Amino acid sequence: MSTRVGGRRLTPYLLVGPGVAWLGVFFLVPLWNLFVMSLSTKRSRYDFDPAFRWDWSNYGDVFGTYGTQLGRSFLFAGVATLACLVIGYPMAYWVAVHGGRFRAALIGLVIVPFFTSFLLRTISWTVLLADDGVIVRASRASGVLALLRAFGWINGDRLLDTPVAVVGGLTYNFLPFMVLPLYVSLEKIDIRLLDACGDLYASGWSAFRRVVLPLSLPGVFAGSLLTFIPATGDFVNAYFLGGTSSRMIGNVVQDRFLVQLDQPGAAAISFLLMLVITAAVLVYARVLGTEEMTS
Amino acid sequence: MSLQTSRRRFLGGLAAVAAGGVFAPSLLTACGNDDVGGRRLRVATWPIYIDVEPEGEATLDLFERATGIRVDWNEDINDNLEYFAKIQPTLSAGKAIRSDIIMPTFWMVPRLADLGWLEPLPLDAIPNAKNLLPGLQRPTWDPEGRWSLPWQTGTTGIAYNRKATGGKEIRSIDDLFHPDLAGKVGFLTEMRDTLGLLMLADGKNPQTASVADAERAIERLRKAKADGQIRKFTGNDYQDELAKGSFAACVAWSGDVAQLALENPDLAYVVPEEGGMKWADAMVIPKGTTDLDAVAKFMDFVYDPTNAARITAAVQYISPVQGVREALRAAGGDGAALADSTALFPDAATEKRLYTFRSLSEDEESRLSEAFSKLTGS
Repeated sequence: MSTRVGGRRLTPYLLVGPGVAWLGVFFLVPLWNLFVMSLSTKRSRYDFDPAFRWDWSNYGDVFGTYGTQLGRSFLFAGVATLACLVIGYPMAYWVAVHGGRFRAALIGLVIVPFFTSFLLRTISWTVLLADDGVIVRASRASGVLALLRAFGWINGDRLLDTPVAVVGGLTYNFLPFMVLPLYVSLEKIDIRLLDACGDLYASGWSAFRRVVLPLSLPGVFAGSLLTFIPATGDFVNAYFLGGTSSRMIGNVVQDRFLVQLDQPGAAAISFLLMLVITAAVLVYARVLGTEEMTS
Repeated sequence: MSLQTSRRRFLGGLAAVAAGGVFAPSLLTACGNDDVGGRRLRVATWPIYIDVEPEGEATLDLFERATGIRVDWNEDINDNLEYFAKIQPTLSAGKAIRSDIIMPTFWMVPRLADLGWLEPLPLDAIPNAKNLLPGLQRPTWDPEGRWSLPWQTGTTGIAYNRKATGGKEIRSIDDLFHPDLAGKVGFLTEMRDTLGLLMLADGKNPQTASVADAERAIERLRKAKADGQIRKFTGNDYQDELAKGSFAACVAWSGDVAQLALENPDLAYVVPEEGGMKWADAMVIPKGTTDLDAVAKFMDFVYDPTNAARITAAVQYISPVQGVREALRAAGGDGAALADSTALFPDAATEKRLYTFRSLSEDEESRLSEAFSKLTGS
């Protein structure tokens, strides 16, 4: 065997070659460009003449000026991720444990909405949440609107164009990203473990808490990252479902880039956002325990 | 009447996505079908902005038959600022974009001209340019009439939904600030339209107003927003909000509402007592065009009243070409009814109340746009 190692030594590198090249061309190079842009200065608003000169002032007051939108993005994305987890976990669990031979079909149903454009799905919510629509009328009758008002999450007698609608839209749009990884990790669990728990006199709850939940943590971790990260940078939901005070950081970047033609500023905000998200993910990974992730 | 959907109506939903993928369309057009021989004219314009029926007899077909020049009609423009952001790197580097005629909104014209990104019009080769309506000759945005010929024009006023206003008719801009409409009022993110109307409400003329006047308008909006009077700042998607009744009243564009009202009689459009805004999308020639003769031939063709009337019948905006009304009557059929429409041909009294936002210097634009963005984007 040792005689053949030499010939095979290169194989792994050749195999990862395409992946590395892909990342290099479509991730590292753009990332570098973004970084250079974020340290450039434009002489004129209208001319496109960014010149690189270590201009840290682009980063200057991002937190001061756009702190509100930044904080809001994390809050909205965080609440949406939690909601996705609360809605998605039982779904994935039920399909994995009780789905039987319909498992594939059931999990396929989760993906079906993806056949429609992201934009259309979001805009459809403006119809569902319309002021005289069924949802608003039901929420009014059941006191949900009053409850939301008491929390200060809405002001008037409506859901559309409020932060609640934005978080709802994020939750709806990113739910499959939570369900699929959860399903994958739950499906891998040997169902006989539950029987074993029962044999050892564990209650249903403690079996879940001590066996199923820890084994599904990689799914929770992957699912919440896949939900939280894109939700933080999303601007479509805030654009269509939000009101006058629910814009997110994605909307700010769009405005800096396309309306104010401040490409360096937009790049700086994007870069900072990336750093903050990376830091948050590292902390999160540490809390959940990285070993769980690789198991 | 084939195409009832106006271009602005078509945009609403698209704006946001398009913004996400700014560079995609330019890539697509970059690998367009240039391989076919013959002379070609490349036009970048807004969606649904010309007649396409009947096949083989539409304006572009007739133009090709008359001149042998084939037109690549690219619906590349979804939003002025977004389009500017798209062409900026190329023109700024002194290279030619892949269009011979582009159609930005009027206020973009002086900006492009000042940057040196435009070719002057070959007016000698466009005899029909004499058909330009007198009111649009030498406009504030192009005082020498050197750079631009309007493609279509329209007005900005107030639209309202009688069902949502409780049967109340809206007449003035101040009505938008009435407590009865709290939380049911919309304003446009298009800065010049929104601020123009508010300055008119303040007794200022947007054609001559100062930056301080505009800032006062922004301040009034900020207060209204804090009070919960304003529900949302929107782009073209205001039409859905209006039709659904989410907006009882909002700043709106004339052509859109005329068409919406056909389906929903509760909707109405009014040029407010204090006045309304007037806008135009203008044909300009980006620097680097190789076939100026083809450009001139096209402009001359669409400034012929018969051709202009055919376009008007399809897109239903206010035509900048003199003689369109007569040509519509002469053509008969559905078009003849349009000749009597006050939306397409505003009367003299309305015309008097229409203003055009004045040109802003780079500094003024920067100051106002930043303040306005802070208001609409928080």
